[in-house]
Amino acid sequence: MEQLQTMSPVTARPLPIEPAARPEQPAEATATAEAPAIKVEIRNVSFFYGKFQALKDISLPLYDRNVTAFIGPSGCGKSTLLRVLNRIYELYPGHLATGEVLVGGENILDPGLDPNRLRARIGMVFQKPTPFPMSVYENIAFGIRLYERLPKSELDDRIESALRRAALWDEVKDKLRQSGLRLSGGQQQRLCIARAIAIEPEILLLDEPASALDPISTQRIEELIAELKADYCIAIVTHNMQQAARSSDYTAFLYSGELVEFDETERIFTHPTKRRTEDYITGRFG
Amino acid sequence: MAAEHIIKSYDEELSRLNKIIVEMGGLAESQLASAIDAVVQRDSDLAGRVVEGDAAVDQLERDLDNLAIRLLALRQPMARDLREIVVALKIASDLERICDYAANVAKRSIALSQAPPIQPVYALPRMGRLALLLVKDVIDAYVERDPDKALAVWNRDEELDEMYASIFREFLTYMMEDPRNIGACTHLLFMAKNIERIGDHATNIAENLYYLVHGTPLTQARPKGDNSSIQVVAPDRAGMR
Repeated sequence: MEQLQTMSPVTARPLPIEPAARPEQPAEATATAEAPAIKVEIRNVSFFYGKFQALKDISLPLYDRNVTAFIGPSGCGKSTLLRVLNRIYELYPGHLATGEVLVGGENILDPGLDPNRLRARIGMVFQKPTPFPMSVYENIAFGIRLYERLPKSELDDRIESALRRAALWDEVKDKLRQSGLRLSGGQQQRLCIARAIAIEPEILLLDEPASALDPISTQRIEELIAELKADYCIAIVTHNMQQAARSSDYTAFLYSGELVEFDETERIFTHPTKRRTEDYITGRFG
Repeated sequence: MAAEHIIKSYDEELSRLNKIIVEMGGLAESQLASAIDAVVQRDSDLAGRVVEGDAAVDQLERDLDNLAIRLLALRQPMARDLREIVVALKIASDLERICDYAANVAKRSIALSQAPPIQPVYALPRMGRLALLLVKDVIDAYVERDPDKALAVWNRDEELDEMYASIFREFLTYMMEDPRNIGACTHLLFMAKNIERIGDHATNIAENLYYLVHGTPLTQARPKGDNSSIQVVAPDRAGMR
């Protein structure tokens, strides 16, 4: 603690002292290695369930090879936002999204775009594991066959690779012909993730992927997310704040359909700038 | 303070943490005040009580450590709650050190009061009173969560440094004048250094409080008024020839 001090008297004592500024990246650094590439650009997105507006003018980027978490209380619009990203809402009448979601410069909300092609690029995993009532093998082959015709050996390779990347291969390699429904909850969820990545999407949407799982299975999923982000742009909706803090790089806090704050996860959970964010993450929400 | 937590027992635990800090702060003030009195009044009984009183502060620090660890493990605090707990841990360790220094001053005062009184004893209480004021103000700042008040303490520590530097020179003069002063002056010098260190711990607390409230560290260099640590004392060479 004790240091040799300079002998020059300190004369200037500016008061009050400004809070230390956030360390800013130098401009060049931001332009090169530091700034992740934007994979998805959400621009002024609003969403309506009939007359009810569930999203109000949301704009934020999703960075490639990064995990972005959407957090907020029930009904804040976080799952809705996820559902906009692969247009799954279109399956229901009266649901309408406005604004733009740009992926590689292309607005995926454009009605001219084939939603099936879109969903091959954007995989989704739901809260409850949803394996098809068929074998482990067929669960994954099913999706691939929708988009591609592969010779059997290549199909086998693709399935093994998807199961390996979903950290499930070692557990199921001897029961590929067994029903997917006979796996444990955590295994079923990893099977769904394997199914999603088998068709080689660019973006993975995870809607509460671990909320129905025990802590060990949850950690497996989180570890899997950490591995998958090397290849994908991942968006995750979660009610578990610790999970968002642990597994995401960026966090968006939504409340009543509005984006309250979007920033680096570390910042959101240590020193958010908005009072509403702070109240929510510290458990002070009324 | 922000709004209440949904879980009430969380608030209760945080406020207990707060209470222990305030209690430690109160003890730090009274220990330091008594230590200074013991020096001025050459009161060895009072000094003895200060030395014994240190154990109570140590116990409070252990209590606070336990509570803080418990909160971290069970509540998974975020943002300001997390800073409250981490800062409480740091402030508690500063307060414990302040009390150690007060006990050191008291201990040396027992030895000092066995020698005949010497003049520079009276410079020390002035320094002690300023240190006491800094400790008191920084505890008040903590209670009120007032970073501006903490900054004032942070800036005033320079005065204490200057006092120490001047006492240092004064004691050197006394020692050079009459070697019989060396024993007492050495004790006094250590006591002055202890009091100067108390000021440094008060500024640590101020910095931590600033971080608690603003969420960003106080990065500016603090004004320093003590250069005694790089001073060299040498007999006047010309006079030796």
